[in-house]
Amino acid sequence: MARLRPIGLAQLSPIMIKVEQVSKCFGPIKALDAVSFEVLKGEIVGFLGPNGAGKTTLLRLLATYLAPTKGRILIEGQDIFLHSLEARRRLGYLPENAPLYPEMRVDEYLSFRAKLKGVPRRRRRDRLEEVKVLCGVKDVERRIIGGLSKGFCQRLALADSLVHNPELLILDEPCSGLDPNQTRALRELIRGLARRLTIVLATHLVAEAQAICQRVFIMNGGRIVAADSPARLTEQLHGHVELVAEIAGPRDEVIKRLQSVEGVRRVRPAAPALEDAYFRLTAPADESDRTNG
Amino acid sequence: MANIINLLKRQLRAYFYSPLAYVIMLAFLPTAGLSFCRSLEQHLGRQIGVGELLFGASGFWVAVLAAVALLTMPLFAEERRSGTLEMLLTMPVTDLQVVLGKYAGAFGFFLLLTLPTLSFFVLLQVLAPGLAALEPAPILGGYLILWLIGGCLIGAGMLISALTRSPITAAGVSFLVIGLFFFLDSASALVPGEAARNALAYLASAQHIQDFAQGIVDTRPVALYLSLALFFVFATVKVLEARQWK
Repeated sequence: MARLRPIGLAQLSPIMIKVEQVSKCFGPIKALDAVSFEVLKGEIVGFLGPNGAGKTTLLRLLATYLAPTKGRILIEGQDIFLHSLEARRRLGYLPENAPLYPEMRVDEYLSFRAKLKGVPRRRRRDRLEEVKVLCGVKDVERRIIGGLSKGFCQRLALADSLVHNPELLILDEPCSGLDPNQTRALRELIRGLARRLTIVLATHLVAEAQAICQRVFIMNGGRIVAADSPARLTEQLHGHVELVAEIAGPRDEVIKRLQSVEGVRRVRPAAPALEDAYFRLTAPADESDRTNG
Repeated sequence: MANIINLLKRQLRAYFYSPLAYVIMLAFLPTAGLSFCRSLEQHLGRQIGVGELLFGASGFWVAVLAAVALLTMPLFAEERRSGTLEMLLTMPVTDLQVVLGKYAGAFGFFLLLTLPTLSFFVLLQVLAPGLAALEPAPILGGYLILWLIGGCLIGAGMLISALTRSPITAAGVSFLVIGLFFFLDSASALVPGEAARNALAYLASAQHIQDFAQGIVDTRPVALYLSLALFFVFATVKVLEARQWK
């Protein structure tokens, strides 16, 4: 009879990351304030928010670079600060701006990183080939990193984060500073990876979250203020459009005329003190698109 | 251990890929050579141990100071500035391994930098046999104290580099701090109290150097410099860990 292999609880659970009431303070500044969420295996989750919302701090915590002031973070049920080396073996991290050693060659860098990440010697060559091809840095493998374009640096850093075959990928602004073509290619690549890994990424671009993520957390002031699918969030965000227009003319007449324009829901003067100027027009997103031509 | 060796290799490569290594070597070796020649000139016809020709020259030690300040300057400050520290410290390696790898890299470079000065003694023997008795003990003793003090200063420089984001600041502060080491015996005259004076004089490097360069190897300075180096390694690890305490 075939022996049954015991399966740990963690393997059965679909939850990859569990963040419980995590706060992070830098002196008097509260970068994260009691953040809690879960990420399922195989999900692509995005953190969207303005600069200073706490996205990078959150990713640094997930990558075990920083420790939380309060709360805990579990990866497959294991506290990543009690078992940080184990956690680091399982995650690939791409920090913002893809910092690399400019004096090294692409090949040399990847092999240095692979060794430190514990890729076994006999598998190293094949694995390096795989990630170089996957991330499109095969053509520049002999080049010095300092001479590479931003796009290649970003791809190289991604290749590095994948080299030890992680289960979880943490990407901080993966497409920042890239031109539209490079951005599209990189997004394509990240989406392709998602079939095999769980991906957590931070971005300040709505379009990027829409293009890549299955689920989006919106952050502001160190808190998660909303969580939903990108499509639903877009709907909420763009439910209506406000236009501010400066129109000279008698107030009542202007309001009446504006209200008669198709698609306009509401008209209100922006500055009541000024008789003749600034009206706010509110219209549904699609309608206003039409009126704008 | 494999991780430390990997990090050591990377650090050594980083030195030789940048102009820094060549600048340090170009400045250090001629300065060391000139101080050697000068002390040879000064002591011509007088009785002096061969070890003291090099290791007794103050110019040589100033060059060591400057070299150590420059070679430890980029260790962590550069990584912090460019953001690669984050890449380094999120790999499955411990902070201690990172620190030891960097320390070993810097110390390895220091060995490569100072070993060519052995040729001074060989040249002296070849060009002017009989001018000074080429005994091995003072020379070995001299190198031992050079590497002990070097190892300790590299530790101090590394700690300072870990505390700042700017390599130039690190070099400047290191130069000042490790320079103080050599003034401890002069400073001891200013300190009130017999006990304190004795303690400072005991810690002063000048006396140790003189002893070792005469071939008198005392284990107390060995223990002193090894434990100081160990302390600096430990302190650097704690500085790196401090990112998680804040």
